[in-house]
Amino acid sequence: MSRIWPEDTKVLVVEDDAATARIIQARLEMEGLSVFTASNGVDGLETLQQQDIDLVTTDLMMPAMNGFRLVQEIRDLPPPKGRVPILLISSNQNEQDMVRCLAAGADDYITKPISAQVLVERLWRMLQRASAAG
Amino acid sequence: MHLPVDLVFRMLVWGTLVLGALIFGLVLLGAGIQYRRDRQNRRRIVLYQAWEKDLDAFLFSPSGTSRPFPAIPQGDRFLFEKFLARYYATLAGQEAEALRELYLGLGLHHSLPERLRHRKATTRAQAAQEVRIFRLTDQLEAVVPLLNDPVPYVTHLAAQALTRSGDLQYAKPVLDWVLREEQYQRDRLLRVLEGFGPELLPWMKGHLPPPDQDPEPWILYVLLVAAHRHAASQPSLGWLLQIPHLDLQASVLKALSVLADPVAYAWVLPFASSPAWEIRAQASRALGVLGGPSAIPTLLALMADPVYEVRRNAAQGLADLGHAGISALTWTADDSTADRFARDIARERLEWTDERGHQ
Repeated sequence: MSRIWPEDTKVLVVEDDAATARIIQARLEMEGLSVFTASNGVDGLETLQQQDIDLVTTDLMMPAMNGFRLVQEIRDLPPPKGRVPILLISSNQNEQDMVRCLAAGADDYITKPISAQVLVERLWRMLQRASAAG
Repeated sequence: MHLPVDLVFRMLVWGTLVLGALIFGLVLLGAGIQYRRDRQNRRRIVLYQAWEKDLDAFLFSPSGTSRPFPAIPQGDRFLFEKFLARYYATLAGQEAEALRELYLGLGLHHSLPERLRHRKATTRAQAAQEVRIFRLTDQLEAVVPLLNDPVPYVTHLAAQALTRSGDLQYAKPVLDWVLREEQYQRDRLLRVLEGFGPELLPWMKGHLPPPDQDPEPWILYVLLVAAHRHAASQPSLGWLLQIPHLDLQASVLKALSVLADPVAYAWVLPFASSPAWEIRAQASRALGVLGGPSAIPTLLALMADPVYEVRRNAAQGLADLGHAGISALTWTADDSTADRFARDIARERLEWTDERGHQ
């Protein structure tokens, strides 16, 4: 399915595993998105504050600042940055973790291994919902 | 004994020279080894960078048709297997399928029989992982002996390869391996067994020894019923609950609270007065899930239990009941004539509930 992303859509990928980050970046760039990467929550938060990011994907388990904490920190920011859609990516399929992530303010959740198609589709839906919500 | 000064001097000189030469030789050897490692690392980095670009083009070609992956020279295959391994756990769907085709297309699976018997544990482990990820069912027989591997993570990966195949002919060796392992690892091992899917449950029922003779495998059975939320196995839980074995009964009660079928309430109720606190603790947890408001009197009584775990689970059970349970907790917390244990645990639970925002 072809999607027409808004021009210069920026995605922040926060992921400590370089291979995963790279593969997500390659797939999103194929969609024509501008991708910024960070290897932990602290760097991710800094990048988010410096750039006009439209979507965030973040791993759960990371050094320095984990995904839960990053979500909480982002949601504490004033809008529009505080409302940026967040997709959590984790290798942990624990039900409670999923609930915790969503309660912390994440918009959606996918588990590793990642289907690139599913990832793109989720991001697309999240962006659509965010645009509709204004 | 007096040695001539001249001889002593010469011995010292030669000794120093020999020692110096030895140290110099060792330094040279170390430098040589380091140089070789650096060269290998540099080569690995260069190759990885090239392969990363090739992999992107192979998986995510903008034109929609993937470009073929360049041939990998024989000497670089070991490095490429490691490179590919970094992506095993990351990708699913079409890309995982493409990786599998790439793996098979390059013939990397041909060396598996040899690698599964390799003297290095990391090589054996990676080979077992490849069998699992790329679903190489024809290699499963060669994986079975790794269940006896002296290195724990090799056995774990071997068991995963066998369970993820879903082939129940490997259920027995894997189950035997699980039962040989330490009990504290049970949760981790259960996740491995879950790989067989719920089909393992009827298999276990048909193949396990009677529970009164050997209850240990039946505890695994019960925990798997809970993990799969396998409602069809609930009648078996009712039967197992009658076996007088503490761990087994506690596990069954735990599983019944996961299945959450109110039919099981009547089975659980008698266990609320068990002499074993482990049973009372699990029963109080299950009663809250299964009983509805009718469980409140029993749970209130259990909140005065001398064992903290029982009181905590009873309070949790009341909180799970929603409004009626929370009212009972509030009433107990405010009742100065109530048992001190019950009052304290009710207050603790209500404070926790307020913090979590559950009401």
